[in-house]
Amino acid sequence: MSNYFYVAPEQLIKDRAEFAQKGIARGRSIVAAIYDVGVVMVAENPSASLYKISEIYDRIAFAGVGKYNEFDRLREAGIRWADGTGYTYSREDVDARALANYYAQHLGDMFTEGQKPLEVEILVAQLGNKFRPTKLYRIAYEGTISDEADYAVLGGDAETIKGRFADLEVGHLSLSQTLKNAVAALAGPDRELPVSDLEVGVLEDRGDRRTFARLGDDQIASLLT
Amino acid sequence: MGLPLFDAQSDPGPSFVRFAEMAGLTLPPATSDLSAHATTVVAVRFAEGVVMVGDRQATSYYVANRDVRKIEAADRYTALAISGSAARGLEFIRLAQLSFEHYEKMSDSALSLEGKANYLSPLIQRNNLTSTLVVLPLLAGWDLAHQRGRIFEYDGAGGCYERQDFSVIGSGTPFADSTLRLGFKPDMSREDALALAALAIYEAADNDPSTGGPDFVRNIFPMIVTLTAEGFRELDQDTAAATFRSINDRRAESGGVAGGTLR
Repeated sequence: MSNYFYVAPEQLIKDRAEFAQKGIARGRSIVAAIYDVGVVMVAENPSASLYKISEIYDRIAFAGVGKYNEFDRLREAGIRWADGTGYTYSREDVDARALANYYAQHLGDMFTEGQKPLEVEILVAQLGNKFRPTKLYRIAYEGTISDEADYAVLGGDAETIKGRFADLEVGHLSLSQTLKNAVAALAGPDRELPVSDLEVGVLEDRGDRRTFARLGDDQIASLLT
Repeated sequence: MGLPLFDAQSDPGPSFVRFAEMAGLTLPPATSDLSAHATTVVAVRFAEGVVMVGDRQATSYYVANRDVRKIEAADRYTALAISGSAARGLEFIRLAQLSFEHYEKMSDSALSLEGKANYLSPLIQRNNLTSTLVVLPLLAGWDLAHQRGRIFEYDGAGGCYERQDFSVIGSGTPFADSTLRLGFKPDMSREDALALAALAIYEAADNDPSTGGPDFVRNIFPMIVTLTAEGFRELDQDTAAATFRSINDRRAESGGVAGGTLR
């Protein structure tokens, strides 16, 4: 005969939240910010091939922290959703808000019904145009979606980093200055981040349909000097 | 459409077509003979790349459209031209463009030119063997890995063949092909290749009623595209107009006699 133990829903939620937070806290953080003419995402990432920041669509980018295999599957689903929607309707109809909502629903479902909650925190960034605003949507492990005004920080140490970044970043600055502030906020007062440990992606209009660009080490270094 | 998540066993990978089929986004082609078709597009290799020229006319029982774009950039370094059914062909271009971009985003690296050429084979096979609306594309591009221009042509069953010299698709093929056979030399300059390819389209339009020539009344000219280390470039309308005007002037001087037009 098996025994069933009663677990109060409050306790269950608390346990799951703690589990997810622990997993996310193990990874490094990401700062995403709107600058004068675009959106920049900066990750501390020693790997030069396992990316945390990616292109989803013409004006939409993705960033994830936590367990790599979990957020990478979300990234792939996002690209498929965007390409599938653009193919069925029109490229103009692919909207970051709709994608962020789908992510939120999925993360919420996994948190309450899955074997274990996903140990990830993700960001969907959209570069605005005539029809849509520039937006940063942060989606937490339990499906909470927040519309961040000017910048967002993902990862374990988010509150501290956000505080440091808020002190530096006033209004929408240039790419170079915003990048400097983001790197300083990620590094903190006691250490310096080498360029090789930085992963930087931007959404900016360059006259092409696709606005996402991954910055190489040389470009990052010259923007930081 | 909800968030398309797959487990590791059923994951369609970076192929957009496999994903679209699993998600039910593609419909099987229906059969009908009501379609606009016919074309002539040529691709010619020269020292620094490939030049492509294509006419602009869609024809059914009458002229259906005079300014169709039959050559499109499939991505930054690749051009895709279509002949056959216009409806299926334009859809084919859309699917190919999306597939190459989808692969690049999913796997964070671009497909090789040969990879792109091979990817199209089963798409052509599936369309042409299940539908009377036959499509025959022509793929040309700058191969970044091998640093040269390359041309890939297809047969109706999807077979893919690389051409070292030139390739022609569409109803005007006999006339364009003959012109290129006489005029082609390996390692031509860009100017010579461009003039020869334009002449081939001029000849096709002259003799094939389903191929549109330069239209000096409406100011519509065949599209001219180059693929070089700089990527896909479409020549502006003035350049296309000047190219075809000079061929036309020479033809007028000879009183319509084709011989001697080839330089």
